[in-house]
Amino acid sequence: MVTTLRRSLSSPLQWITLATTALLVSPVAYITFLAFHGNAAVWRRLWTTRLPELLWNTVALAMSVSALTFVVGFSLAWLVVRYEFPGRRIWEWALVLPLAMPTYVLAYVYAHLFGMGGPVDQWWHSVFGPDARTPAPQSFTGVSIIMALDTFPFVYLLARGALLTLNVSYEEVARVCGVPPWQTVWRVTLPLIRPAVVAGLALVVLYVISDFGAISLLRYQTLTYAVYQQMTGRYDQTAAGILSVLLVVMALLFLVMERWFRRRSRFYQTSGRYKTIQRRHCGPVGAWAITGLATLVCGIAFGLPAAMLLYWSVAAVDQGALDTRFIGFVWNSAFLSCMAASCAIVVGLPLAYLASRRPTRLNLACLQAAYAGYALPGPVAALAVLALFTAFVPFLYGSVVILIVAYVIHFLPAGLQSLEPAIQQVTPNLEEAGRTLGLRTRETLWLITLPLIRNGFVAGWVLMFLQTMKELPATLLLRPVGFDTLAIRVWLEASEEYYQLAAPSALLIVVLSLPALLLLVSRDWRTA
Amino acid sequence: MLHMIHRRLRWLFVLMMISGCLAITEGHTEAADSLVVYSGRAERLIKPVLDDFQTKTGIQVELLSSGTTELVNRLKAEGERSPADVLITNDAGSLEYARELNLLRPLSLREVDQAIPSQFRAPDNSWIGLSGRFWILVYNTQQVKPDQIKSLLDLADPRWKGKIAIPNAGSEYLQAGVSVIKATNGDERTKQFLTGLKANAGTQVYQKSSQIVEAVAKGQAAIGIVNHYYIYRHLAAQPTAPIAALMPDQQEGGMGAIMNVAGIGVTRHAHHVESAKALVEFLVAQAGQRFFAELNKEYPLHPDVHADPALVARASFRAAVVPLARLAELREPTLTLIEQVGLR
Repeated sequence: MVTTLRRSLSSPLQWITLATTALLVSPVAYITFLAFHGNAAVWRRLWTTRLPELLWNTVALAMSVSALTFVVGFSLAWLVVRYEFPGRRIWEWALVLPLAMPTYVLAYVYAHLFGMGGPVDQWWHSVFGPDARTPAPQSFTGVSIIMALDTFPFVYLLARGALLTLNVSYEEVARVCGVPPWQTVWRVTLPLIRPAVVAGLALVVLYVISDFGAISLLRYQTLTYAVYQQMTGRYDQTAAGILSVLLVVMALLFLVMERWFRRRSRFYQTSGRYKTIQRRHCGPVGAWAITGLATLVCGIAFGLPAAMLLYWSVAAVDQGALDTRFIGFVWNSAFLSCMAASCAIVVGLPLAYLASRRPTRLNLACLQAAYAGYALPGPVAALAVLALFTAFVPFLYGSVVILIVAYVIHFLPAGLQSLEPAIQQVTPNLEEAGRTLGLRTRETLWLITLPLIRNGFVAGWVLMFLQTMKELPATLLLRPVGFDTLAIRVWLEASEEYYQLAAPSALLIVVLSLPALLLLVSRDWRTA
Repeated sequence: MLHMIHRRLRWLFVLMMISGCLAITEGHTEAADSLVVYSGRAERLIKPVLDDFQTKTGIQVELLSSGTTELVNRLKAEGERSPADVLITNDAGSLEYARELNLLRPLSLREVDQAIPSQFRAPDNSWIGLSGRFWILVYNTQQVKPDQIKSLLDLADPRWKGKIAIPNAGSEYLQAGVSVIKATNGDERTKQFLTGLKANAGTQVYQKSSQIVEAVAKGQAAIGIVNHYYIYRHLAAQPTAPIAALMPDQQEGGMGAIMNVAGIGVTRHAHHVESAKALVEFLVAQAGQRFFAELNKEYPLHPDVHADPALVARASFRAAVVPLARLAELREPTLTLIEQVGLR
């Protein structure tokens, strides 16, 4: 044990990994300290009042949203990868569009449409009579559906990526042996792409339990919402700390479970694939059915809200809401998101690399620890970063560096989720072959490993870019004076009910996110 | 091949260095010479006043809008490194709390002493009230008759089950309001009230006062508790909305309407004290006070400036007698009570 430890510590990569892990874990450590340092009475107070309800609400929502996203995400990925139908190319990338739509915008649009006196409400009453109850977006089902609409692309993307690089021969063997088609999916395909699907679901769950914007607009009480209430309602932050620690524990438990699901499943691909996928042509009925399903999902998750934003934006521009300050907001948002995503890739690569190439206990623990930041609610992560910065590197306080660090801590797991499977799919044999042919470590990395994992690389970057673009609570607490982003503008206007005035900023977030999404789904990256 | 990669690497490195430097300087440069204002009030309602101040005095203002409690917590965490010169909040309790934490500095300004009555500011002027707001009832005129309800405490009556809309437990208005009720009526009575309120509101617990007014206007709730100006703001935008304001607790021996003030304080570690003082003077002067009366339909605190004529005339109703400065000390016990009852 000691010798292996000493040997692994001699590598500079190992040191880098340890240092970044320390950085990533420091906010959690700070919050834990805060939670346990405080008065035991606060724990008792929370337990007797809110805690059971909050825990139940959070777990139930996470479960229902992952079930929904699994069904929607996997089935759509399956359809676009395995079937040929008119407009397949367009649908392939259109299905990722909801990622560009902030969840809080989705929540507001549906709260407006289904709310009392809203268009759907009026239509509902004219069809089902005046006493019929319109389905409420604020109900458990409503919240689940809205969250699922915004997060299913995580599952879709990762499942689609895995299906595209999957070796079709396995399925063919199963079919030859007489396994019926749907059982092949269940018993061969799904287990083979399990790492990707589970990684997607993990992203969904982490997103759901740490989301603040939509949850607060729909008034559904989760742990994160309670944390925010404690933080903004009280000067004493112990209760917020305690709730956050519980949230982190919950997320880590879940991640351990995910590891268990993925156990001993190392699926190397020795070449791109053995056999190109034969897309099955479907007849007119099948084509209509698939197109209908895709239109429905895309329409309610992206088309309709985007149309509403456009409609409101036009009204807002008429009122003169758009001025030159917007150029600054756009620049701030784009700059921050690019920086955060790039920094996170640089930080995350050694972590993911070591954990899959040298899966020692230490390295795996480092990787797991990096995930903790995702579950730390935005406002709490911000509080911790603020305290740590003012204590240790005060000269950086007041610059956007503090924001970038907070984003990296918060969103790195989103990137790791795509980096890690990508590295896992590259067999170490290729690197070893490179080494035997005389390449040095760094050359192997640059010439062999990096080009092969480019896919996961780009996916990770884009996912982090998109999430940073939409991030709200941490930005609110940490932004330097005079430094507003688009998301901040949406919040400042929307929280005072000026939804029309919030629309242009929200629309700009969507527009800025589109090129990144395009990068994600462009052909180039997936044939690599 | 390798050569190319190295060149690419070098470019990447240079690019990262440049953006790193950019990141460090970004934000630092912008705020250096301007008066930095932390504001817990809605940006739309404070920015026009600050813009006017900027054009009249030539002093550049940088505004950071956020929640009041968040800003006080931020000031506390920043300590002497805070860039803030001025703190503006929507709640007197928060200002008093900031004063107790030694985050604000005392001011001696003759203009303030003359313009703002002493009960609306700290004894040493480390915070100064700017405008008054009342926590009152809004009701749907098609569902409720104004004589059906006299007091805020009536809302706990089971006959309003499913018919009332209330703010969430994090709202500074609610906390201040419950503090006043608690100071006037005692713990037991307040607990009863909150328990009834919770049962009657059900899921109609809102984050924003404007949402409550909207819920009442749409008939989703019959009665709501909000700050008075949200009602008039809604009516100004939609004059036909079936809502009206009701001043509660005016009956014989009632506690009076619950009042709070939005106010301002100059921070302990302000870098631009003179500019900050100029802003305070500007806001307490008649011209500044008129902004709050007209723009936001609040009650100006300057005795010579009149409130909007659409509002219930200030002279016609009584305010609760709990001193504003006490809101700070009452807050923690109030929060505990709110949580014991389990308000959301």
